[in-house]
Amino acid sequence: MMKKAGFMVAVAAMLLIPAKLLFAAVGCDLNDPDRDVARLFPGSTGYKTNYVSIDQKGGPALLAQVEDRLGDKFQGLFETIDVPYTLYEVFKGKEKIGYIHGVNEKGQYGGIQVFLVLDLDGVIKNLYFQKLTSRYGKELRDPKFGEQFAGLTLKDFYKYDVRTGKTSGPSAMDKIKNPVPEAESDFRAALRGAKKNLVLVDEFILGNKYIQYHQSGGEQKK
Amino acid sequence: MIKIFNVAYKNLLRKKTRSGLTIIGIALAAWVLVSLLGFNKGYESSLNRDIDNLGFQMIVTAKGCPYEAATLMLKGGTGLRYMPQEITQQIAKEPEVEEVTAMLMQAVFDPNKGESGGYSAYLGVDPATFPQMKSFLEFKQGKWFTNTEAMEAVLGYEAAELEQREVGDLLLITEKNVEVKVVGILKRTGTQDDGTIFLPLKAVQKIFGIKDELTGIGIKVKKDADIAKFEEKMYKLPDVQVVSLAQVKQTIMTLVSTAKVMVFSIALIAILISVVGVINTILMSVMERLQEIGILKSMGATAWDIFKLIWLETLILCVSGGIIGAALAMATAKLTEILIRQLLPYAPSGGLVQISLPLVILTFGVVILIGLLSGVYPSWKAGRVRPLEAIRSQVE
Repeated sequence: MMKKAGFMVAVAAMLLIPAKLLFAAVGCDLNDPDRDVARLFPGSTGYKTNYVSIDQKGGPALLAQVEDRLGDKFQGLFETIDVPYTLYEVFKGKEKIGYIHGVNEKGQYGGIQVFLVLDLDGVIKNLYFQKLTSRYGKELRDPKFGEQFAGLTLKDFYKYDVRTGKTSGPSAMDKIKNPVPEAESDFRAALRGAKKNLVLVDEFILGNKYIQYHQSGGEQKK
Repeated sequence: MIKIFNVAYKNLLRKKTRSGLTIIGIALAAWVLVSLLGFNKGYESSLNRDIDNLGFQMIVTAKGCPYEAATLMLKGGTGLRYMPQEITQQIAKEPEVEEVTAMLMQAVFDPNKGESGGYSAYLGVDPATFPQMKSFLEFKQGKWFTNTEAMEAVLGYEAAELEQREVGDLLLITEKNVEVKVVGILKRTGTQDDGTIFLPLKAVQKIFGIKDELTGIGIKVKKDADIAKFEEKMYKLPDVQVVSLAQVKQTIMTLVSTAKVMVFSIALIAILISVVGVINTILMSVMERLQEIGILKSMGATAWDIFKLIWLETLILCVSGGIIGAALAMATAKLTEILIRQLLPYAPSGGLVQISLPLVILTFGVVILIGLLSGVYPSWKAGRVRPLEAIRSQVE
């Protein structure tokens, strides 16, 4: 009797459970933060999760500023002002040692979840694709690809035009190579996601530390 | 009457703290009662709505496979069992059946989903019958498939959001290396459909190399049909398993009713405590005012006058407590719903606590009735006071 009841509840849950529970990541959360933070940030002992959206933080004015700094408009059904971003503050004991932040980006065949592991100054330590639907997912998710981003900051990304996929003049961005030429659109989506990620972190948590490099295309303003 | 009311009201004000605490006790009991009755009503109607939103009341699956979604979740695509597609026509011929729709669920492993990979599921549906059966589904963008074999996909809202897809975009079925074009994005429904990727049945059969086989059949039964009898008939089909949503609903309601009995018992205890509180307050008040009551009676007040006065005090306490309790229940309905969702193993979508005006009036009536009954003894006792003895006892 109990077994039957259990079965019925399981069936009901499968049929009726709100889809939100099956697709919890409406924004861009780590699938298993306990495991993922420890893996992405070796030496960390804990983390704090913060949720923030452009809408809450500054509304349309902030959106306009983010788009200006990104060099592109937010597009489509899902890149909107109310997307909740999840920002993980990472700790070693009581000391804060960095951040992990992810964004959703539209790829050729599906959503790409681009996570950046950053130190307290917003310098990239690693890039991680939590999800990437592509024929060349294996090559793009190879740790070697993510390691190319180590040491870069938003200052370097200002030289990169997300719309054309080109850099203006010599830049540290030049070292980032697409491992599969056929996956050009996903490669560019990944770079756009990384730049958007950095801009949002600068707005949300770094107090616009890198805005000074914005209009000067990556050079410090005099 | 107004004069008696003023006297009763002023009597209660003489002991503000005591009266206040008694009102709080009644208010808490009324709060629990309104919330519980609201939950009783809300849960069932939400469950009914969720079941109606499925579009069918019965699902037939291959024997040994509890339900394809459960299997996919536990085993990915490896544990699915199939039944021949011809069963669909067989079932459609039954007189109790209004409509049937054939379904084929498949999953592929995507190594690039999460740290160690994950499954993506696709539900093949019959474009001729599924949209009719799910007529409540609305589109955010686009529409259903252009033909029965088209390599096209319609995505539930959450699935589209996760995959960042819009109409015109491509979707890759990894493992099979097949591209399908997104032709529709559904609006949110709050059901499992939000997370589903729909493809035409024949397209799924072709992509996954499964000929004339299904994982499930949705059945919409005629309104006047005997579902239990029809269910028995379905059980006689070879190698199939029947999941009746009426049965599912009954099982859930049985499980929930066990929890409800426990909570109602707690509510009953709360009501009993408040009844004792009312009796105690009024009785104390009577004992403290023996001399006054004696004087009133010596001035010509009858036992009935005294009874009415004390009973009115009880009524004022109960009405005040009832109003505050009902207001509290309405104000905290959302909070109660959140708490219930945390506690229940399964909660349907939509409002779980529905507090309506008739329900508030009913609870109010119950509280007043209980209060009045609890006021009978103190009022009767006060009415029986002998004037001279009462005056003398206070003087002594």
